[in-house]
Amino acid sequence: MRKIVLTLAMVIITGPAFAAGGVVTAHVDGMVCDFCARSLEKLFGKEEAVEAIKIDLDGKTVTINLKDGQELSDERIEEIVSYSGYDIEKIDRAE
Amino acid sequence: MKLFLLTIGLIIFTMPVQARPVSYPGGITAMSMNDADKHSLHLHYSPTAKTSLGYKLEYWRDRDFTINALQMNNLLKRWNNKDSQANFYLKSGVGIAYSDAGAFDHEKDAAAFTGIALDWENRRFFTSYENRYTEAGDIADFFTQKARVGIAPYIGDYGDLHTWIMLQVDHNPERSDPVTFTPLVRMFKDVHLGEAGISDNGDILLNYVIRY
Repeated sequence: MRKIVLTLAMVIITGPAFAAGGVVTAHVDGMVCDFCARSLEKLFGKEEAVEAIKIDLDGKTVTINLKDGQELSDERIEEIVSYSGYDIEKIDRAE
Repeated sequence: MKLFLLTIGLIIFTMPVQARPVSYPGGITAMSMNDADKHSLHLHYSPTAKTSLGYKLEYWRDRDFTINALQMNNLLKRWNNKDSQANFYLKSGVGIAYSDAGAFDHEKDAAAFTGIALDWENRRFFTSYENRYTEAGDIADFFTQKARVGIAPYIGDYGDLHTWIMLQVDHNPERSDPVTFTPLVRMFKDVHLGEAGISDNGDILLNYVIRY
């Protein structure tokens, strides 16, 4: 019984840490123009892991919603942002 | 000397033009530009965020000649700052010029042009400068430059209709009125960008850009 409770507790507590998906926020330098920021929407939209993205010109952020069970590494995000002609300031992740 | 001073002055006071000559990797852009000097159509493809390759058709109104050219634009340097962006481009093309005007009888000559373009913008202000030297054999040989300043009357967010009020200064030394001023409105939403204005000589400016 003790073993079952311990196992259940571990699953409940640690479960989210193993879950893929979630929300990633990329802080992007140079993102001042709507017309030009379309490139980010186009290129992130081609990624298999991406469910949706939201661009905030005020906050200079790109919020990326990942599909359940999918991941997108920081390196890949930096690569896409750089490929689009911008620079990454930092990346925040929330599950 | 006067031309030199005006060039330097335009660069210093306005620094960095136009809808971007280079798009995102895989992006295709169509631009139709019409002003006092010329009508042009430019279709380009950007294999990278630093280069675009395309076809350019120009009809120069006063000189009454056309150029069909292959144009390459290169982003030489981009400055991405927290609240602003600046760009430095080289824009060049080679092709064929054609004229049947005046003394020319179906004259065809090799043509080439090159120039730099700089722009700086944040979400409220915009400034740009570009120049170009055009060589088209016996048909034409001239230098032009222009600069812009702009202000956004309101700050829209992503997906909104964006509006800019701008003033364009054109310097075309070979025209009877070498310097012209054109107040214009730029509006863009999604992948569409349009500009409309009228110069102090009454010439209409109408530009449209779409980016796929």
